[in-house]
Amino acid sequence: MRYALFVGCTTLSRLPGYEKSARRVAEKLGVELVDMPGSGCCGTTYMETLDHKTFLALAARNIAIAEEMGLDMVTVCNGCTEVLTKANKELKEDPELRREVNEILADTGKQFRGTQNVKHYVRMLREDVGLERIRAASVKPFRGLRVGAHYGCHLLKPREVMNFDDPEAPRSLDELIDATGAVSVNYPNKLECCAGPVMGIRENVTWKVGLDKVQTVKKYADILVTNCPFCYLTYERCQFMTENSPKVPVVHIPQLLGLAMGIEPDDLGIGSNKVDASIMMEKQGA
Amino acid sequence: MTEAEEIRINEENKEFRDQVLGTPGAEKLMLCYQCGTCSSDCPIAKRVREFRPRNIARLAMYGQKERLLGGDLLWLCAGCYTCYERCPQEVHVSEIVSALRKLALSEGRVHPTIKALMGSLSEMGYVYEIGEFENEMRGEDGLPEAPQPDAKAVEAIMRRTGLLGRVGGE
Repeated sequence: MRYALFVGCTTLSRLPGYEKSARRVAEKLGVELVDMPGSGCCGTTYMETLDHKTFLALAARNIAIAEEMGLDMVTVCNGCTEVLTKANKELKEDPELRREVNEILADTGKQFRGTQNVKHYVRMLREDVGLERIRAASVKPFRGLRVGAHYGCHLLKPREVMNFDDPEAPRSLDELIDATGAVSVNYPNKLECCAGPVMGIRENVTWKVGLDKVQTVKKYADILVTNCPFCYLTYERCQFMTENSPKVPVVHIPQLLGLAMGIEPDDLGIGSNKVDASIMMEKQGA
Repeated sequence: MTEAEEIRINEENKEFRDQVLGTPGAEKLMLCYQCGTCSSDCPIAKRVREFRPRNIARLAMYGQKERLLGGDLLWLCAGCYTCYERCPQEVHVSEIVSALRKLALSEGRVHPTIKALMGSLSEMGYVYEIGEFENEMRGEDGLPEAPQPDAKAVEAIMRRTGLLGRVGGE
């Protein structure tokens, strides 16, 4: 299995633990992730709302790089995933739009052909690697670790674009967590958005949304697991914006998977998580 | 928000409403029967009194341009698609918000944070700086150098579509 790896601005610059663990776990599972020379920002979900053609062209430029590599793209950010998936779908389905966008791309040396697919890391694990192999690779399973899963929005929505799992009752992430021996719990408002996109507009709103989730999770679980850099940053940072920090470790899904696979915590960047996550190591069997 | 005022729909309001209706994604605005599913499920509405997706739809139907485009109202939508998924009339208030943002952009009224983001994107090809320093840090973390985006191509795209001019990036 080989994919073009699209990391995205936020993870590239701020979350070495996410990127490192995603790479190590892929390696362990025999999945080759190849970097994409010349790739940049996906275009942002903001661009989707601001200008249709710019959104499509910026996404298409990145997708075109994967096309040149002859590989499907794997993403680790929910935002990038939705932007690239939506653009890919629209451009594949509408030849006239494709022609217009390729005209915009004319001077960039890239052209969109519509030959490759885009999928989130979680989706790649579920659809291409499969739970069985992840279970089998989990040689140091967790015992009694309770996990609150947070899917975020754009892994699943809009439904007709993402076409993955059930946005109103998803299971894909919970089942990945369960495959490590940990227990993915149910908790109120599990599907609520992190409000990360509002951080730059009214920061306090994001911290409020974040703390509500973290405080809820604290009642039901030992850690919170995310699959998106924005969700992760919201839930981690909000805990430093209050005097009574709930101190709930926020963990990237490949960090959880990697520990269960016996990968060293350092190799998964666990030390870069700002809320101490050592409870994970304490709840591992031999 | 100040005290509520009586709304009287004038020609200007009708014109703005038509502008909204003519923007892709907002075609179904008039199908909204104000059930409020969008507001009750909105993560922002739960915490911000003045942000109510149902009100945004109503204000758009009444062509209340200033109440919609003034302040930071439109930029408070997190784009979570909860209202999109659950709207029984498929009006999709998130799409109405997108349409309104496009109209705001056409008048150069983009939130300063978003404007700055667009500026970074066109200059660097990323929304954050990922240069020598960041790559050094990445090296220490055992990560390869970040891809160097073709920033010229990114800027060319944003110029060609006219976005840079509208956002005030030049």
